[in-house]
Amino acid sequence: MPAVATNPTLKGVHLTRTYGDGAKRRAALRDVSIDLFPGQLVLLMGPSGSGKSTLLAVMSGLLEPDSGQVLAEDGGDLRDVWTMTPKEREDFRLRTTGFIFQGYNLFPALTARQQLEIVLKWGGYAGGAEARRQADDMLEKLGLLPNRHKKPAHLSGGEKQRVAIGRALVKDPTFVFADEPTSALDWENGQRVMELLRDAAHDRGASILVVSHDHRLLPYVDVYYHLEDGHLEERPLIPAGH
Amino acid sequence: MSYALQTLLHERQRYASGVLAVTFSAVLIALQCGLLLGLFKITSIPIDQTEGRGNSADVWVGSTGVPSVDLGKPIPTSYLTRIAGRPGVGMPELYIANFGNFTKPAGGTELCFLLGTLLDPDSLGAADVLTPELRAALTEPFTIVVDESDVNRLRLDHPYGKPKINGKEVKLVGTVKGLRSLAAPWVFCSLHTARQLLGFLLPPDHVTYLIARCDSPARARAVAKELREQYPDDMTAYTAQEFSTESRVYWLLRTRAGIALGYAALLGLFVGAVITAQTMYSATVASAKEFAILLALGIPRWRIAVMVLTQSFWVGLIGIALAYPICLGLREAVRAKIDVDLRGEILAGTAGVAILMALMAGTWALRSVRRIEPMDLLR
Repeated sequence: MPAVATNPTLKGVHLTRTYGDGAKRRAALRDVSIDLFPGQLVLLMGPSGSGKSTLLAVMSGLLEPDSGQVLAEDGGDLRDVWTMTPKEREDFRLRTTGFIFQGYNLFPALTARQQLEIVLKWGGYAGGAEARRQADDMLEKLGLLPNRHKKPAHLSGGEKQRVAIGRALVKDPTFVFADEPTSALDWENGQRVMELLRDAAHDRGASILVVSHDHRLLPYVDVYYHLEDGHLEERPLIPAGH
Repeated sequence: MSYALQTLLHERQRYASGVLAVTFSAVLIALQCGLLLGLFKITSIPIDQTEGRGNSADVWVGSTGVPSVDLGKPIPTSYLTRIAGRPGVGMPELYIANFGNFTKPAGGTELCFLLGTLLDPDSLGAADVLTPELRAALTEPFTIVVDESDVNRLRLDHPYGKPKINGKEVKLVGTVKGLRSLAAPWVFCSLHTARQLLGFLLPPDHVTYLIARCDSPARARAVAKELREQYPDDMTAYTAQEFSTESRVYWLLRTRAGIALGYAALLGLFVGAVITAQTMYSATVASAKEFAILLALGIPRWRIAVMVLTQSFWVGLIGIALAYPICLGLREAVRAKIDVDLRGEILAGTAGVAILMALMAGTWALRSVRRIEPMDLLR
C-alpha cells in the first residue's frame, strides 16, 4: 500500500438516506461518514439491501442524501457536491469522476477504441487524433490494444469489463466508483480487474470506491468498510492467504 | 463515420421499420403529388400542346376572370384591336374552345371539348401533334381529329352509325397521340367547323380566346399585365405559362380528387411519422443504459440528444434514397397509361418533408432521453 495522503479528497459527512413513506419507510444510510483518500482502493461490502449502492450513488453525486454532506476536493477546496447546481454537478462529474458498473453497457456498434474516444470527444477532453492516441494508450495499459477494432460482440466478458474500466479511467478521474465490477466475471478475470483498479489507485492517485459482495477481493484493497442496516464500520484487512 | 450512422448501420434491423416507414411515406407523397400534377396537366393541354408547347412568349386573352382554359366564355372578336398594334406583339389569332355534346355512332352521348383553331403551319393555337396531313384534312367542314385513347370512349371505332356533335354529323379524319383527356375528350377541328358545331352557343363575331405571340417572354408578361390593367372589366389576359398554371391550380383546388389525393398523402405521412417515431423511441430506450453511463460520466445530455436527432436524419435520408428508385420505377411501369409528373420540385419537396418527418420523430423520441437517469444503473 502506498503512503496515504493526509487529506481526504472525498468526504461523506453524517449522511442519511431513506426510501419509502410511512410504514414502508426504510433507512438505507443512517448517519454514515466516510473519508476517501487519493491513491486508495476502498472496498465497501455488506449484505444485499444494506445500502452499499445508495452510499456509492450519494458519494458520486448521482443521488441526493436526505441530510449530511458530500465534500469533494475541487481545485484545492472541499465543496459540497449537493449544494452545487445540477449543471455544476454534471461538470464536476465530467471533470473528476469515473464509473464502472456490473453490466458493461458498451455501445454494441462501437469498437473498443471508440468506446473510449466517445468520452474524450463528447466530454471535451480531446478530439480527433489526440483522442485516438489517448484511447490507444489506455487500451495498451489494459492489454487490449490488439482488440481496439473489435466491437463488444467479439470481446469476452473480461475484455468487455476492461474496456468499461478504460472508459472510466481514460479521462484520468480523481474519483472512480465501481459497482460490483467483478460479479459477472470468472475469478481469473475478476482478479485482473481488481489489479487494474489497484494500479489505477496507486499509480494514478485516484480514489476508488468498489462495492461488492465478494470477500475474495479483500487482498486487493487498501481499506475495507462494512455496511449493514445503514451503519458503516471500517474493518481490518485480512492479510492475503488467510 | 459518425457514431450515429455507425450505430444505425450496426443495428439496421432495429431501425429498418423506421427507414421503411419513411420510404413508404415518401413514395406515397411523391406518387400522389406526381399523379395529381400529371392528372391536372391534362387540364391545360390546349395551352401546353400548341405551337412551341405553351410558348412563354404567347399571350392568351379570354373572358373576365376565366379561371381555366375550359371555362372561357365568348368574347367579341373585336377585342383583336386591343391587342394588335402594340409594340412587340404579333397579329392575334382566333381560338374557339367550348364543350359540345357528342352523340356516339352506336348511340349514347358523351361530353366533348371542341378546340377550333387556325390550321396553317404557323398557327399558335393548333395542337403541335396535328401533322400537315391532318391539318389539311381538317380544312374540310365538319371533320374532326381526336386522341387515339378516346376513340373507343367515343365509339368512333364502331363500323356503323354516324357520330354527331351538338346534333350535327361529323367525320373523324385521323387521330393523334398523347393528348389524353379527363372529363371530356378533346376534339380538334378548324375554326369554321367549331363555329358551325357550336351554332347559337357561340354568338356571331365572338370567339373564346385571342392568342398573340410577343417578341420575348418578358414582353409577353408586360403585355398581359398592361391588358389586365387596361381592361379589367371585360376581359383577362395571361401569358401562356400563367394560364397553364392557372388552369391546373384551379382544378387542383376545385376538384375533390385533388383533396382526396392530398388526404391520402397526409395519411401516408402520418402513418410514416408514427412508425418512425416509435422506431426512434424504441431504439433510444434500447440504448438507455449506454447513454446513462455517459450521463454518469458527466457527458452533457444534449450530446445524446444530438446523436438521436442525427440518427433520425440518417433514417430520413436512407428512407428517401430507397424511395427515389421505387418512385421512378413505378412511374415507368405506368407511363403508358398515366402520366406521373415527378419533377424536381416534387422530389426535392418529398425529401424535405420526409427528413422533416424523421427529425420530428427523433424529437419525439427525445422524451426517452430526458427520462434516462444514471442512477437507474445502480438499481
